[in-house]
Amino acid sequence: MTTPTARTPAPSEPPGTRGPAATVFASPWSRLVVIALLGTAWFVFLPNYMSLGIALLLLAGWSTAWDLLGGWTGQTSLGHAAFVGLGAYTIGTTANEFDLAPWWAALLAMALAAVLSFVWGKLTFRLRGSYFVLASIAVAEILRLVAINERGLTGGAVGLFIFDLKEPFGVDLFNRGNEFWISLGYLLLVMSVTVLVTRGRLGYQMRAVREDEASAQAGGINPESVKLWAFVLSGALTALGGCIYGIFLSALQPQPMFELHLSVRIALVAIIGGRGTLLGPLVGAGLLTLAAELFRNVFAEANLLIYGLLIVVVVLFVPRGLMGELERRQVRRRYAKSAGS
Amino acid sequence: MDGLTPFLQNLTGGLLIGGIYALIGVGLSLIFGVMRVINFAHGDFVAIGMYTAMVLFRQLGIDPYLALVIALPAGIIVGALVQRVVLSRLVDSPGDSTLLATLGLSLVIANTLFLLFGAEPQSIFLPYATSTVTLAGIRLPVTQLIAGALTLVIIVGLWFLLNRTELGRAVRATAQNRLGAELVGVNTRSVHALVFGVGMALAMAAGIVLAPLLFAIPTVGSSYTLKAFVVTVLGGLGSIPGAIGGGLLLGVVEFMGASYLSSGYRDAYGLFAFLIILLLRPEGLFGRSVKRV
Repeated sequence: MTTPTARTPAPSEPPGTRGPAATVFASPWSRLVVIALLGTAWFVFLPNYMSLGIALLLLAGWSTAWDLLGGWTGQTSLGHAAFVGLGAYTIGTTANEFDLAPWWAALLAMALAAVLSFVWGKLTFRLRGSYFVLASIAVAEILRLVAINERGLTGGAVGLFIFDLKEPFGVDLFNRGNEFWISLGYLLLVMSVTVLVTRGRLGYQMRAVREDEASAQAGGINPESVKLWAFVLSGALTALGGCIYGIFLSALQPQPMFELHLSVRIALVAIIGGRGTLLGPLVGAGLLTLAAELFRNVFAEANLLIYGLLIVVVVLFVPRGLMGELERRQVRRRYAKSAGS
Repeated sequence: MDGLTPFLQNLTGGLLIGGIYALIGVGLSLIFGVMRVINFAHGDFVAIGMYTAMVLFRQLGIDPYLALVIALPAGIIVGALVQRVVLSRLVDSPGDSTLLATLGLSLVIANTLFLLFGAEPQSIFLPYATSTVTLAGIRLPVTQLIAGALTLVIIVGLWFLLNRTELGRAVRATAQNRLGAELVGVNTRSVHALVFGVGMALAMAAGIVLAPLLFAIPTVGSSYTLKAFVVTVLGGLGSIPGAIGGGLLLGVVEFMGASYLSSGYRDAYGLFAFLIILLLRPEGLFGRSVKRV
């Protein structure tokens, strides 16, 4: 590049500024392949840590789904636990009451979540900034209280047990190894959707709305419908992960699932890892899950302490999150290079 | 006559507990009004108050109501320090960074309390906790009456501070227009620190008067944070009289809802009211002045 132009650095790089290996790895699809390989390595080398792996993968998946709304569209939600709970309870209730196969139940859960997020968004997207955050907490809290009080639907505070699930192609869904593969597939699915969406028209509209709603509107974008699409996608994908979580736990109680703490974890993982980046939520989930595991003996159930300390540090010193900061530095370096040569 | 006595009983009970909600909400509203910070750790300050009262009572035998004398100045100092160390760096940063910082603070406080005191519910047993006063057929527990009276005293004191002192004038000026206040010589950095300290002290005071009434658990904070938001949104974020009205209203709504509708949904009534107000009057009942947070 001989003439540095004043354009903003685009995600796709002009050829010749980097080696072929780096170019291949820059493609998001190759990153997904690397993640699949890492997951396989975990399965092979850490067979005693299946539950930890499932917890990590599910948290990463929820968080990536959250990021569609919270990161790419800029609407911080602290209510996503409601979708996890919805997914888990849909699997449980339909399996126990109607003997419905889990794959149909998962589709049903995603449909219900889509409807829920549509109504939820329709009601609260007129609120801006902190008001939207507060409203998301309120909606999720009301749903939690419904889950505790409506015993017919959820088994109330006592809970609900999944004893028996239909087996797809003879795969035992209660086997930890199988659940690990399903969770890995789920994470890869959510990340693929994120890649497809964010590279497409909707993705650009989402970022436009995040940066400045008024300007987006002036550019012919309807912010409300963009936010609704992001929320519906985000909610449905989170509920799908909730279904897997329900099978994983197989004893469902409203407390851990609808709880504000889960919503907070889902959001903070993405924010610490880097909002609006493909890898950020996974990096955040990995970091926090492993940190919680390392300090398990010290902190016992107080492992959210790490979340609290890290979020304060991130907000003060790395406001874009870990991957966001990394990406910014890369872009800056490339830009300096292309401008200098 | 039969329905009237329980009704009055619920009403006074609701108003007394509502006074404490008001105390919590006033602090949150003050912080928001002056600093434009949504303080997610506010309920955890209440929890700190409860545990402070408990430690002072158990270790030193200090009556919880006397503990206020120690806890209020301590709250102001600690709050001001937190503001100086964390929030003052974020004054001009965009978006939800202060919200996230206080959320992190909330997690740190709740989990530290958990590490220090364990998860079991703990309470203070005062010798006079079970005594009641009967007034026109309404039974009022002494502890609730004291709580109500102290709330009144503290709120009157705050009103006096804000409206009748030079310091209060500086606080109000900062709330109205930070730049303008700086131009006439107000040190808005100090005002911010002071306001956060006062807000924390008010929340701790609420925790202390609640301590003899309730069991304390480390995670109690998040439910009070929610209540505080409900209270302040009912009255309009940033408005102190609004927060007082909102607190009393929430107390009465909770008591009435719990006894006439369903007690399982006790916490939900406030949230419903909160959502309805947010949706019908997006900026709160009197919140015309707040445009975009």
